[in-house]
Amino acid sequence: MKTLLINTLLMISLLASAPLLAQDDPLRVGMSGQYFPFTFVEQDELKGFDVDVMNAIGEEMGRDIKYETANFSGLFGMLESGRIDTVANQITITEERQKAYVFSDPYVYDGAQVVTKKGNTEVEGVEDLKGKTVAVNLGSNFEALLRELPYADQINIKTYESNLERDTALGRVDAFVMDRVSASQIIKEKPLPLELAGPTFSQITNAYPFRDTEAGRALRDEVNKALAALRDDGTLASISEKWFGTNITEP
Amino acid sequence: MDVLNVEYMIGLVPVLLRYLPLTLQLAGIGMVLALILACLFAVIRVLRIPVLNQLTIVFISFFRGTPLLVQLFLFYYGLPQLVSALTVIDGVTATIMGLTMHFSAYMAESIRAAIVGVDRSQTEAALSIGMTNGQMMRRIVLPQATRVALPTLMNYFIDMIKATSLAFTLGVTELMGATQKEAAGSFLYFEAFIVAAIMYWIVVELLSKLQNHLEIRLNKAYSR
Repeated sequence: MKTLLINTLLMISLLASAPLLAQDDPLRVGMSGQYFPFTFVEQDELKGFDVDVMNAIGEEMGRDIKYETANFSGLFGMLESGRIDTVANQITITEERQKAYVFSDPYVYDGAQVVTKKGNTEVEGVEDLKGKTVAVNLGSNFEALLRELPYADQINIKTYESNLERDTALGRVDAFVMDRVSASQIIKEKPLPLELAGPTFSQITNAYPFRDTEAGRALRDEVNKALAALRDDGTLASISEKWFGTNITEP
Repeated sequence: MDVLNVEYMIGLVPVLLRYLPLTLQLAGIGMVLALILACLFAVIRVLRIPVLNQLTIVFISFFRGTPLLVQLFLFYYGLPQLVSALTVIDGVTATIMGLTMHFSAYMAESIRAAIVGVDRSQTEAALSIGMTNGQMMRRIVLPQATRVALPTLMNYFIDMIKATSLAFTLGVTELMGATQKEAAGSFLYFEAFIVAAIMYWIVVELLSKLQNHLEIRLNKAYSR
């Protein structure tokens, strides 16, 4: 009841003072908290590559970062409705998304990877997905990549909110598609019987999306400046080394 | 990976417990508001107040006829698209709004049924000794209706507690949201979700005890 009251009051006061909202507010960053090792939670602490990079950007910009976690499928809605300023969740730059948002410079270069249950000899690469059931994350770009394949109509694509690694390990689907970096990481660190199937099949670049408004574009420019500085002084490379043992922030 | 990681489960308990109060807060506030709204709707329906009656029928029809998740998305993501100032509705408020409206629609019907179910001889007797309509409602009808409605209302409250697990889709990290994130970090799904399940279960069990207690009290006048 108290929160509700406060919110109602806040709503009224915000309606009156909306244009006065200044820059000194923290940068509100949305992430799922469910994408190991980019964003995940351990003992109530939000961690991951995307958290480290965003913190560095905040430091460079001299602004606090406020993280908002929500299911992945809700993140773009939160961006669209102005509840967050950007999404730090390995968002891949796509034509469709570029129509709706402006993107920062890429900070991760990666490829799409097929992953199967360990010992699966039927699927050894993207060309073997014909007639198979393949899991992708809901709202992720991998579904679109699969649909671009010439034999897309023969692939049964299943979309997941989360836990697709688990279902692949359980054999409920034949494979899942994810970016190579996090797929390798999952296989290395987590107790699931999974393996990479073949080489990557499409180059992907990930960046931060912003609303296509004057304020959004200005924020994008600021973030780009911070990213360039972090790239030059080696911070990006060292964060990447820490999480992946390799530099994924360069093409 | 086949062995249950008990150590991890025990470690998770204090972490998840931090999010239980928010879950209870969402359901508690939602229940109080839903009850108020539902009583209002029930009275409007019973007395067939013109215009309000028709509006209430449409309201109940909509909120009973659409999934709660759809309503939450409408409030949280949909409304700000129409009126950008409505962005100030945060996830917690939107969840409470959704729970309130959704469950008040159901509860209004069970309260209405309870009121209508009070025997006509009771109201006639009340009026015949000179009570006003208001007095009759307060002293004769509502106490009897409460007794009838209690078990179903409690059912809705229990349902509402569990429905708060949808709030993470709106960025509200309650018990379920916290569990999902922990599970995604450790990949120990069974361990994480069984801990959460037990927590929900204990809360609901405590509520059932409370319900028993209340029922005994309300039945006192009827026991011989």
